[in-house]
Amino acid sequence: MFNYTFQWKQAYAKLPQMLDGALVTMQIAILSMVIGILLAITLTLFRQSNSRVLKGIATTWVEVARNTPALFQIYMAHFGLAGLGLHLSPYSSLLLGITFNNAGYLAENFRGALKGIPDTQARAGWSLGMTRIQAFRYIVVPQMLRISFPTITNQMVWAVLMTSLGVTVGLNKDLYGVTQDLNALTFRTFELFALAAVIFYFIVKIIQIGARLLARRLFRY
Amino acid sequence: MKKAVITAVTFAATALAGPAMADKLDDIIASGTLRCAVVLDFPPMGSRDADNNPQGFDVDYCNDLAAALGVTAEIVETTFPERIPALVSGQVDVGVASTSDTLERAKTVGFTIPYYAFENAVVANEGVEMTDWEGMKGKTVGATAGTYEAIWLEGKIKEWGEGEFRPYQNQADVFLALSQGQLDATVSTVEVAEANVKSGNFPGIRVVDKAPMVPDYVALITLRNEQGLLNYLNLFIHQQVRTGRYAELYEKWVGEGEPADLTIKGVYR
Repeated sequence: MFNYTFQWKQAYAKLPQMLDGALVTMQIAILSMVIGILLAITLTLFRQSNSRVLKGIATTWVEVARNTPALFQIYMAHFGLAGLGLHLSPYSSLLLGITFNNAGYLAENFRGALKGIPDTQARAGWSLGMTRIQAFRYIVVPQMLRISFPTITNQMVWAVLMTSLGVTVGLNKDLYGVTQDLNALTFRTFELFALAAVIFYFIVKIIQIGARLLARRLFRY
Repeated sequence: MKKAVITAVTFAATALAGPAMADKLDDIIASGTLRCAVVLDFPPMGSRDADNNPQGFDVDYCNDLAAALGVTAEIVETTFPERIPALVSGQVDVGVASTSDTLERAKTVGFTIPYYAFENAVVANEGVEMTDWEGMKGKTVGATAGTYEAIWLEGKIKEWGEGEFRPYQNQADVFLALSQGQLDATVSTVEVAEANVKSGNFPGIRVVDKAPMVPDYVALITLRNEQGLLNYLNLFIHQQVRTGRYAELYEKWVGEGEPADLTIKGVYR
């Protein structure tokens, strides 16, 4: 039994506020991806290195990021770190949690992508006088990103959806947070969350279409 | 002939079955169970005892209501934001969940007359200098998302134009954040504030001042169109007060003193 009369107009009236929230959601997702990719490349390098410590750091990161719930990661970023005296705002906690997750997943995928790039590629670079770092940066990384492109797109989608966990650490400026707040005020739960779902859907669609266009440009050859 | 008999029997059966539209009140009595949405991280209104059983003012209130209806009570634990989905999806019949009766919400759900009234207190972290409620100006404050005090506090922050408001998902997270110093202060009902300071679960917090709010009148909720049930609930609340049960429950869960007056002078309802 579902006893409810839908009042869509009451929800539509809140659309501008929700779209403002959607911008914050996009911002967090994009920032967490940019930082996440950079961190993931670093982690990949750590894993390739001969240092046991660096390898250990990278392996632990990837293991925790991939094998624990994103909710836990975000909650720990806020309440866990605060227990150690490090206070992060809800925005930073969510950003940190999602970035941690992104970096872990992407590092694992980059490792797989690296296997698809023959050693000879880097060696060719060295023979042309490139340093190891130059060869990694100009020859290996671009190919690695190219191979992982679909995974990166997926992770971006996941990052957008993960922002909805920000409410657990007191964030009310992103799309889900705004919706939750409006719900508390008006109790129009289903209309508001349906509307939020549609907005989430469109954000994800835009990312997918954007990625396809970008792929066409990047992978012409 | 045979046809006539069948018609007659069908007709009689339909008549005996009564109107097909039994209302929620009938449904509850017929099912033998009253399912109440109660928030259990909101002591002394709702919490769990050492054996993990639900206890508190709201739990007893639901039990009383079930007894009046002649059915068994079933406590369904919900968080504040989950009360409405639980109600409209038919998982519960009534919300006995300290729901503030705002006009905005009354557009969506049906409110009874108030069954309890809260006064609110300002609770601060010990490390923060604050002598009265106005000390919250410019500070980082928070409360449980969607509660009366959260709505008031967020409004104050907007009015002051400084400081930050953070809504958390439950009361425990608010006090955890306050205890850790993530929040400088919170506003919560006097009952909850005192219970939490006394519990020792959240070290480093203190009650500062009363919050200058209109008492937070809370009502029972059910579906907006269940007028029959709402009538019954209103009378039940009336009976609780006039039989002295309200005062009894107040003394049991809140302590000494007079329970708040549920009427407002000069108006009906």
